[in-house]
Amino acid sequence: MKLPESRYLNSYVAGILLGLILLAAFLTLGAGLGASGGLARLAAAVEVTVAPSHTLASPYFGAWGESPGRYYLVYMLAGIFLGGLLSALGAGRLYYTVERGRRCSSRLRLVLAAVGGLLVGIASRLAQGCTSGQALTGGALLLSGSLVFLAVLFATGYATAWLFRGQWHD
Amino acid sequence: MIETYFAADTLGTPGALLTAFVIGLLFGAVLEQTGFGSSRRLAGVFYLTDLAVIKTMFTAMVVALLGLRYLMAWGWLDLSALYLMPTVWGAAVVGGVLFGLGFVMGGWCPGTAAVGAAAGKLDAWVFLGGVLAGSVLFNEFFAWLEPLYTWGDVGVRFVYDSLGLTPAGFILAFTAMAAVCFWVVEFLGWRQGDAGEVFAQPPFAAFTLTFLVLALGLTLLPPQAFTSPAGSARPGDRELLSQIEAAADHVEPEDLADRLLRREAGLIVVDVRPPEEFAAFHLRGAVNITLPDLPAALESHKNLGTIVLYSNGMTHPAQARDALARRGYTNVFILTDGLLGFQERILKPASLRSEPVPPVTAARIALWRTFFLPGPKPAS
Repeated sequence: MKLPESRYLNSYVAGILLGLILLAAFLTLGAGLGASGGLARLAAAVEVTVAPSHTLASPYFGAWGESPGRYYLVYMLAGIFLGGLLSALGAGRLYYTVERGRRCSSRLRLVLAAVGGLLVGIASRLAQGCTSGQALTGGALLLSGSLVFLAVLFATGYATAWLFRGQWHD
Repeated sequence: MIETYFAADTLGTPGALLTAFVIGLLFGAVLEQTGFGSSRRLAGVFYLTDLAVIKTMFTAMVVALLGLRYLMAWGWLDLSALYLMPTVWGAAVVGGVLFGLGFVMGGWCPGTAAVGAAAGKLDAWVFLGGVLAGSVLFNEFFAWLEPLYTWGDVGVRFVYDSLGLTPAGFILAFTAMAAVCFWVVEFLGWRQGDAGEVFAQPPFAAFTLTFLVLALGLTLLPPQAFTSPAGSARPGDRELLSQIEAAADHVEPEDLADRLLRREAGLIVVDVRPPEEFAAFHLRGAVNITLPDLPAALESHKNLGTIVLYSNGMTHPAQARDALARRGYTNVFILTDGLLGFQERILKPASLRSEPVPPVTAARIALWRTFFLPGPKPAS
């Protein structure tokens, strides 16, 4: 029996499909794909519920008003989640796990995921997008800043990967 | 020309939200099918054990950029209908460093983590929690981070303009680079005997060849294919600066005076000074729109007719004209030497001028003075 992992879509076929989805977003929305924007809106929605007056007076989230969740990227994020869920369900890849190397504890892996997420959260706001919204979308639009972001992102990744390799050791 | 939700400013309407949801559904499904719901697979790109991320990302980028340029060449889409992120050099570099570090540590990026979380990966849920917390921290420390957020902001800028290349030339080089990378990666994989099943297979050769043919095809199109028939694509810096150098963005006072005099249809003369100054004196037929209101007020006249901006001098109108040109306006001009020049060259009586005035010019001056000056008309 084949492992579920071996039934992945060919990388180039996937790239063609993603490129066509991105084009569809350009043609209809007039904006590309995005994930971090939706997450930031969710964070703002949580903060506005917990501390409305503080959040509405804050310089960044405040500009998004009382219902920051009513934004196209929040709906796109919901779509990404549901699309991933249905696809994983169909492919038999839906199960609880902490992905890590066998020699790495779950705790170390989760701490690294949390700190990595924190850095990515700050970096996405700073750069006004993530791998989807800035690197892929802006790259396809041939925007200078997006391509610099993409190049620096991968260069830093390769330069620092050695430090964090332990979490994947079997 | 397709009008996008962004161009119509209706991204918040139910139709746009539903469209975004459906696009997200497809995006998430393809990410999961490709195996990007696995942090091990994603992290593999940084340890050179699994290059799927690079292959998929560059393929998607090339497909979308070639498709976009062909849609533009066929007049289906215009860059002004798209949301273009500004280039902020400093923020892009610092953001790239922090993001790269976070990606390697966490094993996820936001979109793939959403897919991983849906597939039950607990490390993805923790990573998403980190992203939410990072967004809140960014908001709380925004006053402190703002200089970094705007560090090196140069507005919308295309990489071919930054490099001084033509769009088609850059796209050809970029596509060729991607195709060569794909061949090298597949060749090395084939030599190692794993994951090299696509190397030298006809579909793979056809795929890379198609990219090159499409990119070459773009170089054969006339350069104006990259600007819309209505000429409303955003100009590059080079184009904008050469217009300024050639003073192609100016209207001479005599020309404007005559066009106002004959009440030329489609001519909009905009006084950008404060309302008090406008009330004290303005060119007959001019409307008063202050600088902050210009984009909204002029939207319906974009690339229709002629828009002339004026102030006392030329600095503010020139800056406003520049900003509008970057938004895709090709019909905005500024009055040479502003209102001060207009007074000197149009309204000054012939008798007060230092140089001798031929009778024909004197008659024109008298006509202009009668038309533009308020109050009882001086007897000729």
